[in-house]
Amino acid sequence: MLLPAAVLLPLLLLLPQALHGGGWELVGQFAAAALQPSLDPLVLQSLLRGLAITCAVALVGWAVSLVLGVVLGLASARVVWQSLSGRCWPADLLARLLALPRSIHELIWGLLLLQLIGLQPAVAVAAIAIPYGTLVARVVRDLLDALPRASLSALLSAGTPAPTALLTALGPPLLPGLLSYGGYRLECALRSATLLGVFGLGGLGNDLLLSLQSLQFHELWSGLWLLLAVMLPLEALIARLRRHWSMPARLSLGPQTQRRPVGRRGRQMLVLLGSLLLLAWGAARWLQIDPTQLLHWQPLPPLGQGGWQEALALPWPSLIAGTLLLTLTAAALAVGVGPLLLLLVAPWRQGRALLQLGWMLGRLWPPPLTALLLLFVLKPGLLPAALALGFHNLGILGRLLREACSAADPTPEQALSSSGSGPRLALLYGRFSRVARSYLAYGAYRSDVILRETVVVGLVGGTGLGSQLRESLSSFAWQQIGLLLVAYALLTLVGEDLSDRSRRQLLGA
Amino acid sequence: MPARERWTAVALGLSLALGTVVLTPHLRPAAAQASRPVLRISAIPDQNPEKLNRLYGQVAQLLAEQLGVPVQYVPVIDYAAAVSAFRTGDLDLVWFGGLTGVQARLQKPGAQLIAQRDIDAAFHTVFIANKGSGLQPITSLKGLQELKGKRFTFGSESSTSGRLMPQFFLQQAGVKLSDFAGGAPGFSGSHDATIALVQSGTYQAGAVNEQVWLANLRSGKANRTRVLAIWRTPAYPDYHWIGQPNLDRRFGKGFTTKLRSAILSWRPANPEQRAVLQLFGAQQFTPVDSKAYAPIERVGRQLGKIR
Repeated sequence: MLLPAAVLLPLLLLLPQALHGGGWELVGQFAAAALQPSLDPLVLQSLLRGLAITCAVALVGWAVSLVLGVVLGLASARVVWQSLSGRCWPADLLARLLALPRSIHELIWGLLLLQLIGLQPAVAVAAIAIPYGTLVARVVRDLLDALPRASLSALLSAGTPAPTALLTALGPPLLPGLLSYGGYRLECALRSATLLGVFGLGGLGNDLLLSLQSLQFHELWSGLWLLLAVMLPLEALIARLRRHWSMPARLSLGPQTQRRPVGRRGRQMLVLLGSLLLLAWGAARWLQIDPTQLLHWQPLPPLGQGGWQEALALPWPSLIAGTLLLTLTAAALAVGVGPLLLLLVAPWRQGRALLQLGWMLGRLWPPPLTALLLLFVLKPGLLPAALALGFHNLGILGRLLREACSAADPTPEQALSSSGSGPRLALLYGRFSRVARSYLAYGAYRSDVILRETVVVGLVGGTGLGSQLRESLSSFAWQQIGLLLVAYALLTLVGEDLSDRSRRQLLGA
Repeated sequence: MPARERWTAVALGLSLALGTVVLTPHLRPAAAQASRPVLRISAIPDQNPEKLNRLYGQVAQLLAEQLGVPVQYVPVIDYAAAVSAFRTGDLDLVWFGGLTGVQARLQKPGAQLIAQRDIDAAFHTVFIANKGSGLQPITSLKGLQELKGKRFTFGSESSTSGRLMPQFFLQQAGVKLSDFAGGAPGFSGSHDATIALVQSGTYQAGAVNEQVWLANLRSGKANRTRVLAIWRTPAYPDYHWIGQPNLDRRFGKGFTTKLRSAILSWRPANPEQRAVLQLFGAQQFTPVDSKAYAPIERVGRQLGKIR
C-alpha cells in the first residue's frame, strides 16, 4: 500500500533541478494573503455572484446527469433487455457506445460546446451532464446487473408483466446504491463547475483565475474561502446522510450483495431527491438555461488547407508518453502519499488536524490554479503539472482513506497498541492492512480519472496532449483538435479497461 | 428510525426547495430583461481585469450616450474565447489585437474594421528583464541570443505584442522556443502579469506591449530598480475595434457608420472622453484599413497561429 509512495524519491531528486526559486516572494505574498482575504464589498459581491452561478451550474448539471444516467443505465442493462425482449446484445452495444462520451473530460466537452454553441449558460450544464450522465449510467447498469434475480424471475414466472416486475423487484434495492453514488457525484459536480469556470465558462472559477493571473492574492483568497464555505458543509452533509441511511461506503466497490429492506428510509431519500431536483429546476430558471440553445449550432470556421498533414506531423509519441508519465506520477503521488502521511502524523492530534486541512485545500483548489502557483518557483514541465494533479487527487483519496480507516474494526489496532507496538505500527498493521485492498482498488479507479484529468493541467502549459490541445485551440487548428480528442478518447478507453482489470483482480482475490 | 430525525430530513428538503423559490427573483441576472437589442462590447483580456472593468464600463457608458442604445460590457477569459464568442455572434463590438483581429475576420466573413488608436499603426513590443538576471540592454536583433537558457515568458498565446511578434523576432535572431530554460517559454496570460512575474524573478525575462509597459512605469507598478527594458522591436500594426457584419440589421440602417464616427470623435478636450482615451493610452482613434494587417496575417501563418 505504501509502495506507490516510492515515486517520491525520484521526484525529490528532480526537485532541486526544477526549482528556480525566483518567485518565493510571490509565494510568500500568496500565503500571507490567506489570513487577510479582501473584504471589499465590490469584490465580495462579484465573488458571491460567481459562487451562486457555480453552485447553480453544478446542481443543474448534476440533476440532469442523474436523470440521464438512470434512463441510459436502464437502457443499457442486460437484465432489462432480457426481461423485456429476451435479447442481451442491444444492452451491450449501448454500453459500449456510452463509453465514448464518458472518456472525454467535462472540460473538453465544455470547450467544444463553447465553439459550437457560443457563450450560453446551457453549455456549462451540458458539459457536466454528458460525461456525468454516462458515468451514472455505467454505475446503474453495473448495479442492476449485479442484483440478485431471484425475486425478478419469481415475479416473471408468476405472469407479472415485465415492466411491473422489473420495477418491483429491482427498484427498491437499486435506490441506496444509486443515491450513495449520486451524493458523491454532487460533490464532483461542484468541483467540475469551478474548474469549468477557470476555463471561461462562467462562475467563481473565472474570478479565481483572473485574480491569480493579475496576482491579486487577497481577492483570490476571498474566493477560495467562499468556495470552502460551501464545499465543507456539503461534504459533511453528504457523509452524514450516508451514515444516517447506512449506505454502502464508497471504498467498498465490489458488488453489494446484502441489502437491507428500504421502508421509511426510502421515503426520506425520495423526499430529499425530489426537493433537490426541484431546487435544480429553480436554479435552471435562474441561470436562464434554454435547452433549445443546444440545438442552435454555429457554423464552424472553414478548415485550413494542409491541416491534416500538419496534425499528423505532431510529435505524437512524445505527446502520448508525456501524458502517460504525467498520469503515472500523479497517480502514484495521490495513492502513495496519503497512507504515508497518515502514518507520519499518527502520534499527534494536531498533525492529523493539519493533514486534514491540507487535504481539504487539495480537494478545493482547481489543479490548474495549483499548477500556476507552482510555476512561481518551479520550471515549467511535467513536475509542476504532476504535483498539482497529485495534490488534488491526494485530497480526494486521503479523505476516503481516513473514512475507511475510522469505519474499520478498531480491535486489531487496539490489540497491537496494548501489546506494546507504537501508534504507527499499530495503525499500519491494525488498520491499513484491512483496507489496503479496497483502497488500492479505488486508487486504480482514480488513476483512470487522473488520466482523463491530465488535460486540465496540460492546458496550463504543463506537458503532453493537454498543452498541445491548448495551443491548437488558440490557433483554431480544427484538424489537430480533432485528432487530439481521438487520441485522448483512445487512451482513456484503454486506461479504463486496465484499471477495471486491476480492480477486479484486487477485489476478487 | 426516530420520528424526529425523519422530520429533520423532511424539513431540510422543504427548506431547500422553498429557498430557491424565495431567492430566485432576487438573483436573476440582468442581461435578459431588456427587450431592446443590447450592444455587447468586449475586449481581449490583455490587462488586469479590474483595469478592464473600469475602462470598458466607461466605454459602454460613453457609447450608450452617443448612440442611444443600451451597451453592456461582457468580460471574456482569454483571447481565443473572445474570437470564438465573436464568431458565434455573442459579442457585437470587440477590441482585438492584431492577430486575434485577423483570426476573427477570417472566421466571420463580413466583420467590419471600425477604428484603431493613433499608436496602433506603429506599435512596439518591449523585451524586459529582471535586474538579477544579468541581462543588459541590447542594441541589435542578434542580441536576443542572450535570452537562450533564461526563464522567459510571453503574455497570452494569441497576443500580437506579447507573443506573435516577439516570437517572430526571436526566430529571426535564431532563438528557438526550446532554447529557453525548462525547454519552453511560459505564457503569463496578460501584459500586467508578465511585468509582475519578471519583476518578482519568477521569470528572468519577458515580452510586453510597449503601451502597458510605459503605463506601468508611470504608475510605479514597474519598479526600475528591479526590472529594465532591454530591447524595443521594430514597428508593426496592432489593436483595433471590430464589429459584427449584422450591426445595421439589428440596430438600424447606418448604425455601423454612426458607431465608427462616435469612436473617432473622442477628443481629450471632453473630460469624459479624455478619461477613456487616457485608459487606452492614446490621444485619439483613427480610421483603419484592413490591408495594414497583411504583415500580421503573414507572420501568423508562418508561426502556425493562423490557418
